Amino acid sequence: MSEIQLELNKVSKRFGGLQAVDHVSFSVTKPELIGMIGPNGAGKTTLTNLMSGTLKPSSGTIYLNGRRIDGHPPYDVTRAGLGRTFQITRALGRMTVMENMMVPGLAHNPRASRKDLEARAHEILALLTIDHLTHELSRALSGGQRKLLELGRLLMLDPAVIILDEPFAGVHPRLQDTITNYIYRVHDNGKAIMFISHNMGAVFELSERLIVLHHGAVIADGEPGAVRNDPAVIDAYLGHDEEN
Amino acid sequence: MIDFRRFEAAIDNGIGRRKLGYLVIALIIAFFLWFPNDTSQSNYAKTVFISGFFYAIMSSSWALLAGIAGQFSFGHMAFMGIGAYVAGLIARDGFIFAMLGVNISPESISAVGAIIIGTVAAGAVGLVIGWLLLRLREAYLALFTIAFSELFRIMMLTEYDYTGGSNGLSLRPLLQIADVDAARQVEYYLMFGLLIVCLLALYWVANSPIGLFLRAMREDEDAASALGVNVVRYKILVFVFTSMIVGFAGAVFYSDVGSERIIPEQLEILQMSLIIAYAVIGGMESLIGAAAGAFISRYLLEAMRQVVISLPFGLTTADGSDAFVWDTGYWRFALFGVVMVFTLRYMRNGLLYPIITWFSGRDIAMKETVSKRESDDEHAARIEADDE
Repeated sequence: MSEIQLELNKVSKRFGGLQAVDHVSFSVTKPELIGMIGPNGAGKTTLTNLMSGTLKPSSGTIYLNGRRIDGHPPYDVTRAGLGRTFQITRALGRMTVMENMMVPGLAHNPRASRKDLEARAHEILALLTIDHLTHELSRALSGGQRKLLELGRLLMLDPAVIILDEPFAGVHPRLQDTITNYIYRVHDNGKAIMFISHNMGAVFELSERLIVLHHGAVIADGEPGAVRNDPAVIDAYLGHDEEN
Repeated sequence: MIDFRRFEAAIDNGIGRRKLGYLVIALIIAFFLWFPNDTSQSNYAKTVFISGFFYAIMSSSWALLAGIAGQFSFGHMAFMGIGAYVAGLIARDGFIFAMLGVNISPESISAVGAIIIGTVAAGAVGLVIGWLLLRLREAYLALFTIAFSELFRIMMLTEYDYTGGSNGLSLRPLLQIADVDAARQVEYYLMFGLLIVCLLALYWVANSPIGLFLRAMREDEDAASALGVNVVRYKILVFVFTSMIVGFAGAVFYSDVGSERIIPEQLEILQMSLIIAYAVIGGMESLIGAAAGAFISRYLLEAMRQVVISLPFGLTTADGSDAFVWDTGYWRFALFGVVMVFTLRYMRNGLLYPIITWFSGRDIAMKETVSKRESDDEHAARIEADDE
């Protein structure tokens, strides 16, 4: 089991006059399944971009396994042990599925033999039910298959913390099951998985812990059953009744 | 009529396409090695070939930079010029050493030494330009490199006290062979050898993990970075590497091997456009395709300077000649333009792409994978069927 110690301390991000992320603090110290929810514009993807190095925080710090990673380029954060997928899939279109898998494999293990990496990639693709498409250009894959490929690429990196941005969006229900199985299996291997989703059924089914963002700030963080009944969360989702 | 499918099946069941491809490459190399020994060939023909080899280096290295790494640069000829001009100036003028405060006489620099210094200079400028281009993509990158290229050309044109202006600059001759025929022969082999070495170096990079990372960056820089690729490092690396290749080729070519002087006209955007056109026609994502596109285009452009069509059945032209002669002038470039337009519209991977994919056997793999494509619904149905 790999070491996990992700810590966010008062992380903020401001775009001009907009406070997209507002003093967010939380930590992940064990292999947890963490759901991250919030209404549209709550700052979920921005927070993901801050953790993965795509954006630099305006203030605050992020540590991963004792190493400060905020403001570091994404490749460095990835190598430090935090991998992510994108809300809109970013398959490397004019490269084959196997080449898509080899990019993170070789970037993470430059000295590993290609043969070993290819064998590992085959195993992962079989787990994700897309091993028959190994030599296909990734731009020819269906939407759900691209999501599966993104998940497969993450496993080649073997990160301690995985952030999945809308893994179920626009995916056939049967393929959603494949993704769910993937999440359980990766979690069983000792990884912490944080996933953003608007699919509340999946969120409450999978999550061991739920973080709720609203207007860029964390308004609830805890066990899903408790979070579900938190007045602040209900208020954020359903709105505030002025008369009551 | 030849049944191509039967022929194809015979190849697949026999020697195999890939081996046949290697055999064809070996035959092409054997032809180029034999060519200068053919006594019926003039020195002019050898000169055309030498120029073809030089442009093949230019286009194939540009294919690595733009076709594989996705850095659509117009600065390639400028880097070639930097290699040639620095090699020329370092061996002629003491001012560079004086500027650096080093007490070295330019006369003591050999032609080989000058070429090495020119190559390093091209790489050093490539490093700076690569760094400046880090945040620029697509049209902005192209515009920046056009500006850089023009800036360098105008500097070479204006500083005629040092560079010879429009008359150009002579470099220290690399070879000292008195006999003209023997000299052409050696120059031919030198330039051909240089092309082979450069192609091997380019192939080595393209097929290494670096080549894979460069292609990933071409597809999506942000995704490549999220997958652990140090985009900054590889972007600069490809600029430095290709700059050094063309700087080296330029310094050798203009050391009286292919041409006796480098002139600023060589650095014009039109010349750069020709390098791009050769690569596009041959196939800009294939190094060998781009090289072949450049060589064949150079040869045909030269061969088409004058078109002679012998008239049959004793027919004569109005002036009594038995052949129709057309001095094509710039029309050959117009025809070249038509080929380019056709390529871009109908064969975006280049005219040589079908041949290259056939020999590599990639078309078989592509047909197989196409048959396995499925929608999300079909994929889900297949999993369910497998589960049952």
